[in-house]
Amino acid sequence: MKNTLGIVGLIVVLLSACSKSEDGGTKPFFYIPDGFPDPVYQFQNNPVTPEGFALGKKLFYDPILSRDSTIACGSCHQQFVAFAHSDHRLSHGINNLLGNRNSPALFNIAWFPNFMWDGGVNHLEVQPLAPIGNPVEMDETMANVIMKLKRSNSYPALFEAAFGSDTITTQATMRAMAQFMGSMISADSKYDKYKDGKVNFTNAELSGLQLFRAKCESCHKEPLLTDMSFRNNGLDANFNKDAGRAKITTLPQDSGLFRVPSLRNVVLTYPYMHDGRLEKLMDVMNHYHSGIQLSSTLDPLLSTGGIPLTAMEKNDLITFLGTLTDYTFIHDNRFKE
Amino acid sequence: MNKSKLVLAGLCLISVSFFSCKDDKEDPAPSSGPGTVTLDITNVAGAVNVDETGGTYYTNSSGESFNVSKLKYYISKVQFYNVDSMMYEMPESYFLVDESNQATTKLEIPDVPAGSYTSVRFTIGVDSTRNVSGAQTGALDPANDMFWGWSSGYIFYKIEGKSPASSQPDSSFMYHIGGFKNSNSTNANREVEIDFAGESLIVNGAREAEIHMLADVLKVFSTPNTISIAAFNTHMAPGGNAILIADNYAQMFSFEHLHND
Ligand code: HEC
Ligand code: HEC
Repeated sequence: MKNTLGIVGLIVVLLSACSKSEDGGTKPFFYIPDGFPDPVYQFQNNPVTPEGFALGKKLFYDPILSRDSTIACGSCHQQFVAFAHSDHRLSHGINNLLGNRNSPALFNIAWFPNFMWDGGVNHLEVQPLAPIGNPVEMDETMANVIMKLKRSNSYPALFEAAFGSDTITTQATMRAMAQFMGSMISADSKYDKYKDGKVNFTNAELSGLQLFRAKCESCHKEPLLTDMSFRNNGLDANFNKDAGRAKITTLPQDSGLFRVPSLRNVVLTYPYMHDGRLEKLMDVMNHYHSGIQLSSTLDPLLSTGGIPLTAMEKNDLITFLGTLTDYTFIHDNRFKE
Repeated sequence: MNKSKLVLAGLCLISVSFFSCKDDKEDPAPSSGPGTVTLDITNVAGAVNVDETGGTYYTNSSGESFNVSKLKYYISKVQFYNVDSMMYEMPESYFLVDESNQATTKLEIPDVPAGSYTSVRFTIGVDSTRNVSGAQTGALDPANDMFWGWSSGYIFYKIEGKSPASSQPDSSFMYHIGGFKNSNSTNANREVEIDFAGESLIVNGAREAEIHMLADVLKVFSTPNTISIAAFNTHMAPGGNAILIADNYAQMFSFEHLHND
C-alpha cells in the first residue's frame, strides 16, 4: 500500500510539472522566465498538478462562485485582454452593480507580494475571497460556495483527483485557484524576444525603450514592468473618492497611493488607471506630460511638474509599449475557458 | 497478590486521588499521565447569560439598550502557568467561540502534562503569521465568516445586534474587530490571564479538569473605554475604534471556578 502510494506520488510529481502546449512539446505550468526574480508564491505547499490546475480553471470560469450563479471570475478577467475586463472602466458585478475600481489584468501574479490596487490582499491563496464576498461583485459567502461545490455532481471527483480527498474545503478550493492563476505567466512578448536577441526592434521601438528606461523605469521596473510599490502618480489633488493604500494601512501618508501596475500587455488592458479614467495610451502620455495634480503625497519623482515629453517621444513610448503584448499568453489553450 | 491486598491497594489509590482532590497544592503522583483540560466559557451580559436569539435586551454603560444576534471570537495560544512559569502551550491552539453553537464555548485542551497549575493565559485573536499565510483550515477556515476578504486578516471579535440608539435604518450595530499589524498600531490581539484565585488546577491522567470563566459583553462596552452605539454603530476594519474595543475585550473575562474531579 505504502509502496503503491509512493509510486503514484512519484508519477504525479513527474507529470506535475508539464502540460501539452501547442507545438506538441511540453511546457511547465509554472516556471521562472529568464531574468525574472524568484516568485513570492513558491507553490511549496501546493505544487501544480494537471488535476489541480484543471480544477482551478473550472472554478475560475464557473459562476457557481457567485450568489445567483451569474458571474464568474472569468466574467471580469478575460483571456483575450490578458485577463482584464474588456472595455470596462469599472468592474461590473452581480445585478449589474458597478464597483469603484477597474479590473486589473492577471499574469505573473505569483511574483506579487500583495494584490489589488491598494494591496489589501496579502496572499494569492486568499485572493478569491475578496471578489466572492464583495456585495457588488459575486456577493456570496465561502460557506455557501463550499456547500454548493459539495452538492454538485462533478466537483467531488475533481477535488479527489487534485488533492487525494473528495472532502471539499476552502483551503483546497483556494489552492486549486492559486495553481491556475499562479501559472498565468506572460514573458513571451516581442520585448522579451528582443531581450533574448531573437528579434530586432524598429527605430521607434528602440527609441521608445530608451525613453522608457529614462523616464518610466523607476516605477515600472523591468522585467515585471512594476516595482510593486505604492505611489501617487498625480491623478488627483484630493482622495475623497478613493484613499487607495491608506484604506488598508490607515496612514495619512498613504492617501492616494496605488500599486504601480505592470505594463505588460498594456495595449490590451484599456481603459487605464485604478478607476479606468483614461481611455487611451495617448491620454496616459498627456497625463504624465501635463496633467499631474499636486498633492502632499505626490511621488517625488513627479513633483517637479511631471515628465516632459515631445509629441514624437509620446509616439515612440506608445510604440514601445506595443512590444509588451504577449500573443502566446492570450492565445494559450491551457487557460481557455 | 491475594484478593485482600488488591482491595487494599485499591483503597490506597482512591484515598490518594481523593486526597489530591481536597488539597490541590499537593503535586500529583509522578506516574500520572497528561490529561485534557476544558476551558468552559459562559458568555454573559452582566448578571444574565447572553441570549443569542435576540429576545433579550441589555443596557450598556451609556444607558443604551441593545440585544445580541451574533457573538463570535477567536481564542488562541493557550498556555498553562504555575505561578510565573509557563509549563505548557497547546500547539496549534486556535478556537472559534460562537455563541450560536454552544459546543464551541467549551475548549478542549488535550495532552496537558500532569501537574498543578495556577493560571491559564490565552490570546483573544490570531497571531500575525496565520494572518499572512494563505488559506487555513479548521477554526481558521475563512468559510467561518471571520476573515476580511478586502483587507486580508482575521476578524478576532464580532458582535452584532440591534439597539434603538443606532442611527441605522434597521437599528443595527456591528462591531467586527481585528488587525494584526504592529507597524501602524492596529494590532487587536490581546493577551488574557485567568488566575485561579489561589486555587490550583490539577491535571492527572483521565481525571477531569475544567476551568469555568465568564465573558461579559457589557465590559466590551465599558471597560476601560466607554463605547456608545449612538456615537458609532458600525466598525468593520482594523485600527481606530477597533483598538478601543480590543482594549475592552481584553478585560471581558473573569474567573468563575475550577472543577478538579
Ligand atoms: C465584478 C468583476 C470581478 C469579478 C467577478 C472578479 N474580479 Fe478579480 N478583480 C476585479 C477588480 C475590480 C479588481 C481590483 C480590485 C481592487 O483593486 O480593489 C480585481 C482584482 C483581482 C486580482 C488582483 C490582481 C492584482 O493585480 O492585484 C486577482 C488575482 C483577481 N481579481 C482574481 C479574481 C478571481 C479569482 C475571481 C473569482 C473568484 C475574481 N477575480 C472575480 C474585478 C472582478
Ligand atoms: C512615480 C512612479 C511612476 C512613474 C515615474 C511612471 N508611472 Fe505609470 N503608473 C504609476 C502608478 C502608481 C500607476 C497607477 C496609478 C493609479 O491607477 O492610481 C501608473 C499607471 C500607469 C499606466 C496605466 C496602467 C494600467 O493598467 O492602468 C500606464 C500606461 C503608465 N503608468 C505608463 C507610464 C509611462 C509610459 C511612464 C513614463 C513616461 C510612467 N508610467 C511613469 C507610477 C508611475
